[in-house]
Amino acid sequence: MSVTRRGLLTMFGAGGAGAWGGPVDGLALAARGLEDESAALWQGGGRRGGAPAAAGDQPPAIKLSSNENPTGPGKAVLDAIVGQFGEAGRYPFNADPGEGKLVETIAALHRVKTNNVVLGAGSQEILKNAVWAFTNPSRHLVTASPTFENATNVARRMGHPVVEFNVDSQFRIDLEAMLTAVRGAGLVFVNNPNNPTATVHGGKTIADFVERVRRISPETVILIDEAYHEYVTDPAYETAMPIALSTPNVFVARTFSKAYGMAGMRIGYAVGSADTIKPLERLRMPFSISVFGVVAAIAALGDVKHLDAERARNTEVRAFTQKALEDLGCRCTASHTNFLFANVGRAASQFRSACAAQGILVGRDFPPFEGSHARISLGTMEEMQKATAVFRDVLRPANAAGGGIE
Amino acid sequence: MLTRRKFVQTVGAGAAGALTGSWIGARGREGSLWDLAPTLDAAQAMRVIPLSSNENPLGPGKVVLDAVQRAFGPAGATPGRYSSATGELRDVLSTYLNVRPENLTLGCGSTQILRTATHVYTERTKALVGTIPTYEESAGYAAMLGRPVRAVALDRDFRMDLDKLADASRGAGMVFYCNPNNPVATYVGAQATRDFIARVHRISPETTILVDEAYFEYVTHADHATMIPVALEDPRVVVARTFSKAYGMAGLRLGYGVGHPDAIRRMSQWDSGSGTSSLNVLALHAGIAAIGQGAAFVDAERARNTAVRNFTVKWFADRGMKSTDSHTNFIFVNTGMLAKQFRDGCAAKGVRVGRDFPPFEHAWCRISLGTMDEMKRAVAVFGEVLGKAGVIAAA
Repeated sequence: MSVTRRGLLTMFGAGGAGAWGGPVDGLALAARGLEDESAALWQGGGRRGGAPAAAGDQPPAIKLSSNENPTGPGKAVLDAIVGQFGEAGRYPFNADPGEGKLVETIAALHRVKTNNVVLGAGSQEILKNAVWAFTNPSRHLVTASPTFENATNVARRMGHPVVEFNVDSQFRIDLEAMLTAVRGAGLVFVNNPNNPTATVHGGKTIADFVERVRRISPETVILIDEAYHEYVTDPAYETAMPIALSTPNVFVARTFSKAYGMAGMRIGYAVGSADTIKPLERLRMPFSISVFGVVAAIAALGDVKHLDAERARNTEVRAFTQKALEDLGCRCTASHTNFLFANVGRAASQFRSACAAQGILVGRDFPPFEGSHARISLGTMEEMQKATAVFRDVLRPANAAGGGIE
Repeated sequence: MLTRRKFVQTVGAGAAGALTGSWIGARGREGSLWDLAPTLDAAQAMRVIPLSSNENPLGPGKVVLDAVQRAFGPAGATPGRYSSATGELRDVLSTYLNVRPENLTLGCGSTQILRTATHVYTERTKALVGTIPTYEESAGYAAMLGRPVRAVALDRDFRMDLDKLADASRGAGMVFYCNPNNPVATYVGAQATRDFIARVHRISPETTILVDEAYFEYVTHADHATMIPVALEDPRVVVARTFSKAYGMAGLRLGYGVGHPDAIRRMSQWDSGSGTSSLNVLALHAGIAAIGQGAAFVDAERARNTAVRNFTVKWFADRGMKSTDSHTNFIFVNTGMLAKQFRDGCAAKGVRVGRDFPPFEHAWCRISLGTMDEMKRAVAVFGEVLGKAGVIAAA
């Protein structure tokens, strides 16, 4: 599938593009591989803002559907890009700094060697290549449901078997259940925190899981996707980086698309032992990161203050939004991300359409919870103040009618 | 380090008003750049002239860089969003090329198009066919996948040998047809190419032909035409294009494939919805702006390149050194000296020329074309290097 890391299909079609009253169901478009077209539709003829065009006098829609950072990458990054304008005509291998400098910067950040790092055009390229490298028709993928579906979709497209396990009662990835299927698996995908359920597992839980997988099936590769790492506030959480570096067949994926605010730049990376990283490096598309992406990522890693501020900003917005939803009777999972997974007490599609009619775009269906839960990405505080007012409006009639959120 | 190139282009844009009104420009970036001018002038004599990667020495130009900066959005937040401009770029391209959006697939450079086509059209039993030498992305990728690669020699004029290529295509998965051909710079005319495609499909109906038109905009041949119309009708022909050459956007990573909807669908199926997840938002807006410049931009860039090419080819010819018939932004020239020796000699004097291209590395060198100013300085270096070694060029 094309589209976006983690949010995909959320864009709900032509809804914003002049048909506020009658949105096309984006999932249907998405299922046909037309996410871009749907995006272009709501983008409305060349608008360059993050928010879609509104019909007539409507204000721009607020996009809470793709788990993006609404504030973007920050001035240090944009300055770095402008400073690199003179290199736009040069191939990345001729530009200064080159891609190697980014690898060195990432390696230094994690105190590893450069052969422990592989870059990707978004972490999607990493996930795709991991499925390609480590699964095959007789070595299956083990994953969760719902979770970030990129790996699942790639495996299915390749005709490699997929075994999925529903999340547990607290919407956490059910690691115990997954263990029953890891024997002989090619790849185990663990999204921690998990998109779309927003929950996280603690460091010890992940370490135990890895150890048990290793005991049952030492050849199985474990991919721990930490796309939302920077947003976690659970004190029990720890990155799996040290495990990846000390354990064969384990690696961690990270992205610049979330807290670093660079979803549009398409840069991700993975860290693991050199032997685990090597097959990913081999499959990598050469120079998939632009000369602007290289300097942007280096600048982003250097701007620690911006990252800290983004984490604090998100935590505040998350607390505000969660309280507003829970005041409306909508229970949220324990979020450690830049989105909430909320029980809105009705079909996600119904909630989504009603919000869209008022200019708020929330996440797509996430089976098996599409009958009750919506994924709501967090915008800025100002955006969420507007959005929660809409949520109140949309949810109240049902509540008043006793329509029932438990 | 701030290179001269960076300086010229950034200031060029700024002085013209593009940056000054923006919030970035307002923080005095141009001012600091101007302050560096004396240092840069001093460094200019020492700076390396890169003539090794067939890039456009002018870069994408102001219109495109302005578009990149506008893509930041008014608050600088837009790069934080997943890019949604793929549809717009596809629309712009389909209008420009007179095709339908479903005839197009976008790629992270044409690299992605070449890899995807190679992936879906070759198999362990269905070889990739190409000339030797040619652009190596497809062959390298096929080899990595363990798929057979059949290479045929060029003709005596360094053109693709269509007889040999057609013979080798029997039962092949895909023919990689790079026209003009890198690194040898030669071009096969449009009618000869159409005839070749028909011939391959007579003798090997299942074989796909990937026509790589990376240097299309630089061709000055009398019978010059794109194979896009053929590809639109024939699901076994795909045309690859790039923004890395005439459009000066090698650093941005943007290319596209054009073909029959069945071919595009097949490629997209393998490659994550036609590669859009790999395309960065700045490249998308740059591409839209680049195409928006219309034919005038391409014509001017072709004219500029042709003048530089003629100058450079003549310089070598005047010294008895023969070049192939170039229709690209580089030349392939017989210096009579080992390519490595010539390259090292030039590098020591600040001019970087192309790598070895077997089987011609004993005497032939690929030299990308810089600006006229750069080439005037480069030929002075060439003269020193060739003269110093006392080489009499091969006739």
